[in-house]
Amino acid sequence: MILHTLSSTNFMPYLGKMSINFPTDKDRNVMLVFGDNMRGKTSLLNALRWVFYGKAIGRHSREIALFDLVNIEATLEGDWSIEVVVTFEDDGHRYEMRRTATKRALVSIPSRSEDLLMERAMRKDDIPLGEHLIDAEINRFAPEQTSRFFLFDGELLDEYEQLLIDGSDQSKLIKEAIEQVLGVPNLIRGRDDAQTILKHAQKQQTADLQKMGGFESQAERQRHYQAQIESIEKDLKGQNERLKQVNDDRIELDDALEKVEALYQAKQKFDDAVATRKENIDRQDDLQQQRLLLVKDAWKEVLRPLLTLKRNHIHAQYLKLTSQMLARDKVETKIEQLAVAVQSQTCHACGQALHQKERVAAATELGRLQAELLGMKLDLNFFSKLGSDVQSLDKLLQPTDARQIAFIDKEVSRLSVEVTKLDNQIDALDELIKGQDTAEIARKRAKRDGLLKESARIAGDIKSSKDTLEKNQRELAIISKVLEGLPKARAAKSSKLVKLASSIEKAYARSIDQLRDDLKSTVENLASQAFRKLSTQSQYSGLRINGNYGLTILDERGQEVPIRSAGAEQIVALSLIDGLAHAGRSAGPVVMDTPFGRLDKKHRANILAYLPTTTSQLVLFVHEGEVDRATDLAPLRSKIGCVYEIKEISLRHSRVERINQ
Amino acid sequence: MSDTVPAIATERTQVRLSNKAHTILTQMKEDGYLAEMTDGYRLGIALALSMGVAPGEFPAENKNFIAVSTLDPSGEIAASIRILVDLEGQSVYGYAERLADWGIKEMQDRFRGGFLDVAKLMDEAPALPA
Repeated sequence: MILHTLSSTNFMPYLGKMSINFPTDKDRNVMLVFGDNMRGKTSLLNALRWVFYGKAIGRHSREIALFDLVNIEATLEGDWSIEVVVTFEDDGHRYEMRRTATKRALVSIPSRSEDLLMERAMRKDDIPLGEHLIDAEINRFAPEQTSRFFLFDGELLDEYEQLLIDGSDQSKLIKEAIEQVLGVPNLIRGRDDAQTILKHAQKQQTADLQKMGGFESQAERQRHYQAQIESIEKDLKGQNERLKQVNDDRIELDDALEKVEALYQAKQKFDDAVATRKENIDRQDDLQQQRLLLVKDAWKEVLRPLLTLKRNHIHAQYLKLTSQMLARDKVETKIEQLAVAVQSQTCHACGQALHQKERVAAATELGRLQAELLGMKLDLNFFSKLGSDVQSLDKLLQPTDARQIAFIDKEVSRLSVEVTKLDNQIDALDELIKGQDTAEIARKRAKRDGLLKESARIAGDIKSSKDTLEKNQRELAIISKVLEGLPKARAAKSSKLVKLASSIEKAYARSIDQLRDDLKSTVENLASQAFRKLSTQSQYSGLRINGNYGLTILDERGQEVPIRSAGAEQIVALSLIDGLAHAGRSAGPVVMDTPFGRLDKKHRANILAYLPTTTSQLVLFVHEGEVDRATDLAPLRSKIGCVYEIKEISLRHSRVERINQ
Repeated sequence: MSDTVPAIATERTQVRLSNKAHTILTQMKEDGYLAEMTDGYRLGIALALSMGVAPGEFPAENKNFIAVSTLDPSGEIAASIRILVDLEGQSVYGYAERLADWGIKEMQDRFRGGFLDVAKLMDEAPALPA
């Protein structure tokens, strides 16, 4: 299959006409479309999906409603018609596939997808094909089941990495999708049919046994288990439906919440900022109250330096006077002693009589000291005042807490700055969330969390029901086996049918296992082949597939490599997709949207070198962050057929322009 | 009330406040810098004392402000004034009200229209020359 052109009218961001030509030269079969995020790369991929299969896929692999495919600017001008046309060739024939959606008659302004009428048409070698032939033609060269492997976006790579997590919901869904592609469901449906036949046969066997004498109790037990199985199967069906509904609701809420996540975060920040502001204001008020109490004693602190100096000065005077008083006391004591000695003519220390010479000396000393004492006059009132002043000052200079005012002022000032910042933040956030129902967002988050728990609970119930079902089926099988051995029962037609249906069911079960093993082996070989080409690590020998089609890297000794980088994960996922694409169909075009997210230059170069050799055309929708036009494309230049760029005209209007001829 | 200082002053039971200083203290209280106007009154006295001011005549436009027993219940203000100033027979609370009047106006001049920076007043209090 070779794609020729893709054109559209009013499809998603492409207002009016849009047209691109695919490279048809097999030696230059690479096409690049550059575009920033949110410009419309995935919309181009969806244009191809929609024209072929009538559906466009959004985030989490959810289908985008037809209503949302119409360009918004066009709808504002009353134009509700969209059209996508793809031309291609296959097996020597020229094809044109066209799909349109238009406003239904009698609808004035469409408000839902049902208000639009979708139609399709295909021409083969310019001859219109009947509607009933279109699907058969598409399935020949691009079956929808395999489309996710040749029309895929970067998100798919992330999904495929989930295959490595055994038991996750996502991995189960992907496993189902892979088996759908590889044909296992046909055998599963066959086994289910055989099980249905077996059940009918067992019922008939029960009825027959009741008519025969001597088998009433076996028939009763058989009927009991059949009723149990039917009841459990009914429960399981209900539980599975409920689980699907809960998961769908959760995914829908996740999508809705993802869109308003920024808003929710803003509301959280807003609430936090308001709470922090209140805390700061309360703290400021508290500090202000403390400050007011401290101001009462501040006057003492204002005077403290002066009073301290004064106290030191007075104290020094006081000490000086004290020492003067002590000196005077000494002199007075001495005078007293000398006066006694002179008068009694005996020594005051030893009591011996004084000689005349000593008495004269004592009298002389007495006179001198009496003269000295006259010069040592002390103002006792002043001394007393000094003592009193020192005491008063010591009282005044007792420490107060008023010095803490400086700390409080700094803290209040800091808090004021914080409050101003918070005010600005609150204003900006308020502007952002104004008019938005943040309570509704909170409700959705709570509901989503509740659904997650509900989903886990139902999954537990399903497991329990399955266990009980298996147990009952075993019991029923034992009864059937016993009955087979009894000649009278064996002769009954229904018993023969039970035996036959049971054998067919077992044959299907074995076939499913066999086919799965074969397919895994094929995919493993093809993916390993791709991986060796894509990986930059020469010591990696290949990949090993697990029960869920997840792949593990093997080293040169064939041992599993336990840890791998995000880039390696992507290469493994890409290898799996390449393997699946080739296991399911012959080589055709591959269209990749944003495939190089986490890859380094060498890996990108390997992909760009390898994929053009295994595909008829390689179309890459990339942004500048993924592929550097100057460096990455140099080795690929000889293979590039054409390069386009998506340009933004407005938020709801993009245009694709060719930038090389 | 006359401001003439008698030779031997009789002590007051009330202190006065000039109308202007009253307006200033009222504003400071309203602005949340003071819990009570009395706190500003004491600060005014302390500021004037710390700067070694010899206060002038008490303004004629004045009013009774508060009882001495409320302003200075433990007599610490009077003690401070007596220690730092030679009153030469003047009434200590008469002198105090003149100091307060000067100090309150000084505070307003320093922090006009702004924040009553008590911490700065405490830090800037000058030391008495030796």
